[in-house]
Amino acid sequence: MTESNIPAVRTEGVWKIFQQEAEEVQAVRDVSVTIERGEFTALAGPSGSGKTTLLNLIGGLTPPTRGRVWVAGQEVSEMSNQALAQLRLEQVGFIFQAYNLLPVLTAMENAEFPMLLQGLAAEERATRVRELFARTGMAGLEDRRPGKLSGGQQQRVAVVRAVASRPALVLADEPTANLDSASSEALLDVMAELNRDLGVTFVFATHDARVMGRARRLVQMVDGRIDSDETRA
Amino acid sequence: MTAPPARPRSLHTRTILVLAMRNLSRQARRTMLTAAVMVLGGALLIFSFAIGDGSHENWIDSGIRTSSGHVTVEQPQFRVSRKLEDRLTSAQRGEAERALAMPDIAPLVVAVSSRLRIGGLASSAAGARPAQILAVDPVAEARFSTLDDQVVEGRYLEPDDRLAAFIGVGLASSLELRIGSRLVVQAQDTENEIAAQLLRVVGIFRNGVPEVDQTVVHIPLQVAGEWLGSDEDVTNVGVVLQGSEAVGPVTRHLETTLAEPITRGEVRVMGWREANPALAAAIAIDDFGNYLVFGILFLIIAFGIVNAVLMSVLHRHREFGVLQALGLTPGQTGAIVLVEGLTLTAVSGFVGVSLGLVATWYFLGDGLDMSALVGEDMTFSGVVIDPVIVPLFRAVRIAQVVTFIVAIGAVASIYPALRAARIDIAEAMKFER
Repeated sequence: MTESNIPAVRTEGVWKIFQQEAEEVQAVRDVSVTIERGEFTALAGPSGSGKTTLLNLIGGLTPPTRGRVWVAGQEVSEMSNQALAQLRLEQVGFIFQAYNLLPVLTAMENAEFPMLLQGLAAEERATRVRELFARTGMAGLEDRRPGKLSGGQQQRVAVVRAVASRPALVLADEPTANLDSASSEALLDVMAELNRDLGVTFVFATHDARVMGRARRLVQMVDGRIDSDETRA
Repeated sequence: MTAPPARPRSLHTRTILVLAMRNLSRQARRTMLTAAVMVLGGALLIFSFAIGDGSHENWIDSGIRTSSGHVTVEQPQFRVSRKLEDRLTSAQRGEAERALAMPDIAPLVVAVSSRLRIGGLASSAAGARPAQILAVDPVAEARFSTLDDQVVEGRYLEPDDRLAAFIGVGLASSLELRIGSRLVVQAQDTENEIAAQLLRVVGIFRNGVPEVDQTVVHIPLQVAGEWLGSDEDVTNVGVVLQGSEAVGPVTRHLETTLAEPITRGEVRVMGWREANPALAAAIAIDDFGNYLVFGILFLIIAFGIVNAVLMSVLHRHREFGVLQALGLTPGQTGAIVLVEGLTLTAVSGFVGVSLGLVATWYFLGDGLDMSALVGEDMTFSGVVIDPVIVPLFRAVRIAQVVTFIVAIGAVASIYPALRAARIDIAEAMKFER
């Protein structure tokens, strides 16, 4: 199998069970799903349906209770903390609902951060970020710290940070939940463009109808299970 | 997609440093408050050590000058027997004096006084009192002792003096003696016979230590040699050094140079600690008390740092989650916190030590006058305490304080660093509505 044939994500019988005091919570139940490279997929469902937990399992932020997870052909479920950190650095980009930019870094530094950890040269980092900032309408705001940016601007910096290091996969957890309609649409335009032009694989956890409407594949989750999986033309 | 290059360690170190520095400046008020505590602690520690060392040096100097010096060369039995028969011969005395004049050790030596110390009786028409008779070379003893600076009437002994006595104010009072009064001293001579000597009082001193003021009588060594038949023999060769730190090298030098008579059991070399165990114990107890107070002080400071760093970690729970989600390892995340704590303590420690040194330097000239608290005539363990404490600067104290502060910084940052490293990323990233 060549690298391009390897799916971006594959899960096989994945379970995540949390112990909340005396109660056992089955957040993800026996989920098997494959997401190919270049997909623009939304995991949808009501609150508590397990979509964020599934995203965390795929990103190696939490280990599965049972089952196996592969990202870009590498099995995540058995990795050490060190290897998981390396995998996240090299293969996964994250976009969070709360933006989660580092407050002590400027917009430019935030966007560069994963590439800095990857060891890319300063020139290469700057070129990539400036190009993406131009695409996302962030040009001229490079030196601002997150506190001086609007929510929509912060989320665009987070998108640039997630894609600039050219990961196999970008996991976006409710990326539009804190944005107004105009900002949400603008952000979705940016991500759709990056998906189309750069082939970046996006997986969203969302209950925003706008995101679901844009997704080319919609995976509906209910009570930790996949309820439906629909691919659109 | 091609695999990115392996992560260079130096790059990560720089990234960790940058994040740590910016985090410290982000919480400027908290950082400044914690740093202020450390600065104060460091300055206090340096200054307190300098004052403690200075006062101890003062005690030692005062104690050794009224007794047998920083280092003393004696006949081994003399310290117990206090008998004239346990004395150094003039040959042994000469050998010790020559050893102390050797060029490699001479710069450490401030004064050498060869003395004959004997117990006897001092009497006048008004009565008799026990006396510590110290037969000295007036010139050498004036450099050695401080008694010549404590004259209240008359003068100290001079090289041409014959049958002269320099006595304490207590003895003068109890025997009703004044300048020019006649005084008879009696002691056992080298033939174990009681011998008496008539002297005239040429000077009276006030030392402040009652035991010294009431019993000590200085007389010329030559007079004692003729009176007791001891010629130029002495009971000890006392040495005053530049400071108590020179005791070790000078003692070792003397033990090497005088190895033969020492092996034969004729000579013994002692440092002041051995010769004045009460003074040494007093200083050790005082030191212990100081270390205890400093220890408690720094324990409180350490808790302050733990609190500051830990609060900072708890407030940045989500941030550490983000860092690890972006690819930082748990170890690197902990390293940021550790670097923050260490930088904070190292910088504030440096400033604190510098401030402490400035304060020490300020008091180096005139000292710190404590007479309002302790009075003018305080004695302790047979030693007159000078109420003006001149701080003593010791490089080793800086090394100790810096090591101590950095160690506290490291220890106090370890727990918060572990908390940051062991964060549950998914939990930290949960969005709170």
